[in-house]
Amino acid sequence: MTQVVISNTEARARKKWRWPALPTSVVIALCWIALMLVLACFSEVIAPYGFTKLDLRNRLAPPLTPGHWLGTDELGRDVLSRLVFSIRVSLLIAFGATIISATIGTTLGFLAAHFRRWVEQIVLMLADFQASMPFLILALSVLAFFGNSLVLLVGLMGLFGWERYARISRGLAISANAQGYAAAIRQLGAKPPRVYFTHILPNIASTLIVSMTLVFPEVILLESGLSFLGLGVQPPMTSLGNMVGYGREYLTRAPWIMLCPAATIVLTTLAISVIGDWLRDKLDPTLK
Amino acid sequence: MLRFFALRLGRALLTIVLVVTFAFVVLRLSGDPALMIMGPEAPPEVIAAFRKAWGLDEPIWIQYFDYFGAIAQGELGRSMRDGRPAIALVAERIPATLALTLPALLIKVGLGIPAGIYAALHRGSAIDRAVMVAAVAGFTVPSFVLALLLVLIFAVQLGWLPSGGQDSWRHAILPIFTLGVGGAAVLARFTRSAMLEILGQHYIRTASAKGVPWRAVVTNHALPNAAIPTVTIVGFMVGSLIAGAVVVESVFSWPGVGRLLVVAVANRDLAVVQCILLLVALTMVTSNLIVDFLYGFLDPRLRTRTGSA
Amino acid sequence: MTAPLVQARGLKKIYVTRRGLFGRLSHVRAVDDVSFEIAKGETLGLVGESGSGKSTTGRLVLGFETVDGGEAKFDGAALPAIGSDAWRAQRARAQMIYQDPLGALDRRLTILQQVREPLDIHSIGDRAGRDQVALELLRSVDLSAEHGRRYPGELSGGQRQRAVLARALATRPDFLVCDEPVSALDVSIQAQVVNLLCDLQAKLSLTMLFISHDLRVVRQVSQRVAVMYLGQIVETGSADDLFAEPLHPYTRALVSASPAPGRRSATRIVLQGDPPNPANRPSGCAFHPRCPNAMPKCRVEQPVVSQPNATRSVACHLYADGEAGRSAA
Repeated sequence: MTQVVISNTEARARKKWRWPALPTSVVIALCWIALMLVLACFSEVIAPYGFTKLDLRNRLAPPLTPGHWLGTDELGRDVLSRLVFSIRVSLLIAFGATIISATIGTTLGFLAAHFRRWVEQIVLMLADFQASMPFLILALSVLAFFGNSLVLLVGLMGLFGWERYARISRGLAISANAQGYAAAIRQLGAKPPRVYFTHILPNIASTLIVSMTLVFPEVILLESGLSFLGLGVQPPMTSLGNMVGYGREYLTRAPWIMLCPAATIVLTTLAISVIGDWLRDKLDPTLK
Repeated sequence: MLRFFALRLGRALLTIVLVVTFAFVVLRLSGDPALMIMGPEAPPEVIAAFRKAWGLDEPIWIQYFDYFGAIAQGELGRSMRDGRPAIALVAERIPATLALTLPALLIKVGLGIPAGIYAALHRGSAIDRAVMVAAVAGFTVPSFVLALLLVLIFAVQLGWLPSGGQDSWRHAILPIFTLGVGGAAVLARFTRSAMLEILGQHYIRTASAKGVPWRAVVTNHALPNAAIPTVTIVGFMVGSLIAGAVVVESVFSWPGVGRLLVVAVANRDLAVVQCILLLVALTMVTSNLIVDFLYGFLDPRLRTRTGSA
Repeated sequence: MTAPLVQARGLKKIYVTRRGLFGRLSHVRAVDDVSFEIAKGETLGLVGESGSGKSTTGRLVLGFETVDGGEAKFDGAALPAIGSDAWRAQRARAQMIYQDPLGALDRRLTILQQVREPLDIHSIGDRAGRDQVALELLRSVDLSAEHGRRYPGELSGGQRQRAVLARALATRPDFLVCDEPVSALDVSIQAQVVNLLCDLQAKLSLTMLFISHDLRVVRQVSQRVAVMYLGQIVETGSADDLFAEPLHPYTRALVSASPAPGRRSATRIVLQGDPPNPANRPSGCAFHPRCPNAMPKCRVEQPVVSQPNATRSVACHLYADGEAGRSAA
């Protein structure tokens, strides 16, 4: 048996993994997100007051008042504290919703790719339906019919954007099944779960994650919008959109009540979009 | 060609059917429809008549078909607040919404598309960067924040414009601007990336290398190809006019369909919600059909019989 | 004589396509009444152009697609239904390797992991020892442990194909179908892989169906060769016989087109007419539009298979009356 010599020309040397060069914007975005996550996780510790604590002597205090760095609202509640707790609620809902919709979407996409025929048609039909109706309207309808509760809200948000994951996972699974590694693995005798979870899912994970970074900010915006209209997160719970809604009444006298949460929404959405764009360029230049 | 339209029409009808089914399912799942639509204070004979009219004592399949029938005949129930038919309530608000959304649409298209094209043709220039920044802002700043900021600046600080209500044409400026600018930014970014993708294609370089003047290359090759994805997204914007108006109308207390929806949801005025839901579906489906129709003109590949879709 | 390992009798596979939504149905006979047998330890080469149905035949024989007519048997038993447990179990005994090794490998897993995977799937040996077995397999195809640690994208084409081969042999299959395994490789690498196949064939007493359009490669690996045209087998025989003395006009054209040292360089036969299109089969003998020896009969009647001698068979009107090898001009 001839011995094969590994020459450098035959096989490329394994590249060493280094920290990828990050553009400044991405670094800033990551720092902001890290800050948001810290605030969300450690709200109780960081917030100087509880978010319902009233300080009636200091109503509508402007920012930089001692003891209330971001001012207070009409009931004397500390804006900073409420902001911190709002960040937690909004981020929680957004995370939960994104993960739920990614799971639902990917699973449905895989089912469509695996069973084809009528299962696929049904999934595609549902996906079309979801994509063609503005989600806000659908969400409002459900909220009207079912009333409001946090569980319902998260579940509802969890239905946002599933069709994108479904389309992606279905498309990639079909092409993998047709002539790729998935077909090869199946021909080696593997059972479908193994094919999908050990092979296909890791390969499409990066595309899915990029989609998640695109959906996540939209969920935040959607939830903020609903809460702003008074139809999302209900008091006494507070969310970013909620706070903006409250601040609207006092726009003339105390604009900071509205500006702080609004700025947070914009900056957080911006940060995730920046990271998402960068990830997409890095991981999958074929996507647009 | 005929087959193409038949398919699209079928799909449109299917979407409407799905929306009606959605409304039906949600309605049934959430409680007694009669009570919900008519309201708990309605007199018992009205409720009984409603039940009869809607066949609520019959098996669910019959109810489903009856529901369809009722919708087709325009029997969509009455508003809980004042007992008037939901359709009338919604219909009288439509002009107000159109007064906002149509000018806004003009701004979106008239500002967004040229800006996007210009940015693509002059890549790296100041305008390009401005467009990109504006586009990002348009995406990340939610409409209610933008609306409130504008109110803060123009109505509160500067006192130029009123902040709410519908009394004069001046009241419409801020809402229209809010709606228009956000959409313009999104459209600009989209148009820009569609143009950039096309400009990077081989046939553009070939045409230019052949000696065709750049202006002609853009007008005859790039723009028509960019028109197709752009038409899609404009169609989507048209279809979601009402959805976009919901927040803005609420902020500016503008009495349009969007604001009606919010109030109806808050009051659980289901007849009105249902009516608006169907109206949105109809708008969406119609605009998609028009877009598909336009495709037939814009994309010659779809016109030939043997072209594969 | 022991029963052949692989039996194919009258195999048919028809693809139905529809032009447009309301268009006519068209039936494409990818495989049309194909019969052959492969004895244990033997290698049958299957030669033909693209569109001849050879890849489809390979898939039918392994049970990767359902037959529309005829039957295929493996080790005397009918093939189990696709996707069933029995089918999956049979995968350990019969495997296939393809033209594109990169497509058959998962880019995210190391070579070793992928060569080991069939052992995990079929629960062969104990878990701890499987890596060792995988390393052994790599060694048998001349790949080192270092190669095993790499990812598919980091290997060359020839190395990848060898890795795929190692994976296919992991479960010690009795039967291996190779569908154009070296067509995508550089010629020098082709030789390496083909030599490897020959060595493995001898060492493991593999039964193989070697599908290719390249005659020289087929000749090196196979004991017997069958030539396919538009879904039918037009000639079979031992490799040496077939190349020394091709009978069917198509085989003659193929053989004349591939240069071989030591053979008297006859004038090259160039086929006229359009390349075969399975969607548009000519009437009678499928080859007649391009055949330099076509007779009026060929347009009308399909030739039956005749056997000029014990080891050869040919489907051509030239030999229809049983005469052995009437030489054509």
